[in-house]
Amino acid sequence: MVSEDNLVRVAEYVWEIPATFRDDMRVPARLYADEDLLHAALSDNSVVQLVNTATLPGVIKHAIAMPDIHQGYGFPIGGVVATRLPHGVISPGGVGYDINCGVRLLVSLAPVEEVKPFIEEIASALYANCPSGVGSRGPLRLSNSELDGVLHEGARWMLGKGYALREDLDRTEEFGRIPGADAAYVSARAHERGRDQLGTLGAGNHFIEVDKIAEVYDETVAVRLGIYAGNVAVQIHCGSRGLGHQVCEDYVSRFQKTVQEYGITLPDRELVCVPFDSSEGQEYFHAMACAANFAFANRQLLAHLIRRSFEQVVAGRIKHFHLQQVYDIAHNMAKIEEHDIDGHRTRVCVHRKGSTRAFGPGSSVLPDDLRDIGQPVLIPGSMGTASYVLIGTPGAMEETFGSTCHGAGRVMSRAKARKMVHGAELRQQLKSRGILVCAGSMSGLAEEAPAAYKDVSRVVEVVDRVGIGKKIARLEPMAVIKG
Amino acid sequence: MSSFEEIEHTADRAFRARGRNLAELLENAAQAMSALDGLKPGAEPPITREVEVSGVDRETLLVNWLNEILYLEQTQGEAYDRFRILEANNHHLRAQLHGGKSTNTVSQIKAATFHNLEVKQMPEGLEATVVVDV
Repeated sequence: MVSEDNLVRVAEYVWEIPATFRDDMRVPARLYADEDLLHAALSDNSVVQLVNTATLPGVIKHAIAMPDIHQGYGFPIGGVVATRLPHGVISPGGVGYDINCGVRLLVSLAPVEEVKPFIEEIASALYANCPSGVGSRGPLRLSNSELDGVLHEGARWMLGKGYALREDLDRTEEFGRIPGADAAYVSARAHERGRDQLGTLGAGNHFIEVDKIAEVYDETVAVRLGIYAGNVAVQIHCGSRGLGHQVCEDYVSRFQKTVQEYGITLPDRELVCVPFDSSEGQEYFHAMACAANFAFANRQLLAHLIRRSFEQVVAGRIKHFHLQQVYDIAHNMAKIEEHDIDGHRTRVCVHRKGSTRAFGPGSSVLPDDLRDIGQPVLIPGSMGTASYVLIGTPGAMEETFGSTCHGAGRVMSRAKARKMVHGAELRQQLKSRGILVCAGSMSGLAEEAPAAYKDVSRVVEVVDRVGIGKKIARLEPMAVIKG
Repeated sequence: MSSFEEIEHTADRAFRARGRNLAELLENAAQAMSALDGLKPGAEPPITREVEVSGVDRETLLVNWLNEILYLEQTQGEAYDRFRILEANNHHLRAQLHGGKSTNTVSQIKAATFHNLEVKQMPEGLEATVVVDV
């Protein structure tokens, strides 16, 4: 275990575990947290997991944990690790099973008061039109070549089918398509699992949420993003479904042997990794990019189904219900990026496991109309609590490889949450607070109870004060659709 | 000695399974995952599937076995509640899965992981703690 005695405070809200803490560490580990969030992080194995990631071959600068850090498998959730290319490693276990799990935010110009009378109908339509549950099936049945088209083209594939607007792609990380995808490296099993799952939500902490824009902190930036206080918005949180899970399984299992052949010793077998420039590293990267593209396409099709649900219910009854995309971000991914390290432009593989890219103003990878303000960052809260829109900052570029937090972060185990919370009662409590919940599983709902999570507002406050993300707006839930 | 128990885990789910030998450990681990997932097979008609799984060592074999079950459940819309290992060594197993069409689609488990996984020799037999991603 790691205790507070092992930590050095290097700045307000920034804690460091020196590389001398353990013989196998290659770089120090850094943790962004206030005192309470730090104590929460030290209460389970998440900080040990952070230290473990500081041992990966090629890791540079620091292994980093965001204030929403919590215990995962392999990497902690809320972790950022960059390795120097070309020889630094890529770790499929570091990216995790839900490749390109992420968040999409759509906003309308419809005021909450106009939508509220129809919220039950909207929630029912969303629940009926957007299938949920781990093994659920979506509205499309794809041939092999169509599925490979999705894996290579991502959300762009949806444009040709009428399920996307061109503006949606401009407002998606990597414009909805990760380069380097090659479906030849995606197994037949992964193809099979993905074939009928496009446009499905999945289970666990995934959701669709109808929100009200409760508060705007930076009106200039908010207006540029189409965000106005008092209007209705919709968030989607999901990923690459069974296809992504199978890609991760395939490579984590196969690399159990490969990692030995490269002579790499690791403190945890889930961290298996190979040099990025090795044939095996390239094969995983080609497959991971396919799964990432599948996830972009999945959130795109869900956005289409959500727009159709709104149209079914409120067309002709209210004006301005059209949903415009603010942005779509990934928070489980390995990305090839260039960052300034010790004064040198350096090519790195940035693993973000429960962490969001937060590129600041001036970044050349942002669309023209966002380049002067920076990248929108979407931070969903736990069910029944607030969510935040942030914007990327120069501080994130300098300190955290252009990364920030991704959500609230759990503090209570799922087993304990199920013992302490009754799903049906929780649904009733949320209803009495004006939040409708549609869920396929009451025990699954109990596991996602707000009491099982940290306070997202504190998490966001820390990244805002440290300067690795800037608060733009706060959203509050009206209706939640869960797997 | 109980065959398995759930272990607390902050974000995902975990269980510890035991067995007098490798075959029993593999059966009990599958039983534990099935109990955690909560998928229920329908009464009729019963479905039996036979599978073969390989791995470079016992830990890989265990993870690949659990993921084989999840793959079949999620692609076939089935749930299994009884598991019989017909033969097993450290690198290979042959097994029967018994169950039926799933009565609910809300499976929670995405995959079994290698996190801190070790098949340990204990005085009473073998033991392994498995974290599953949900």
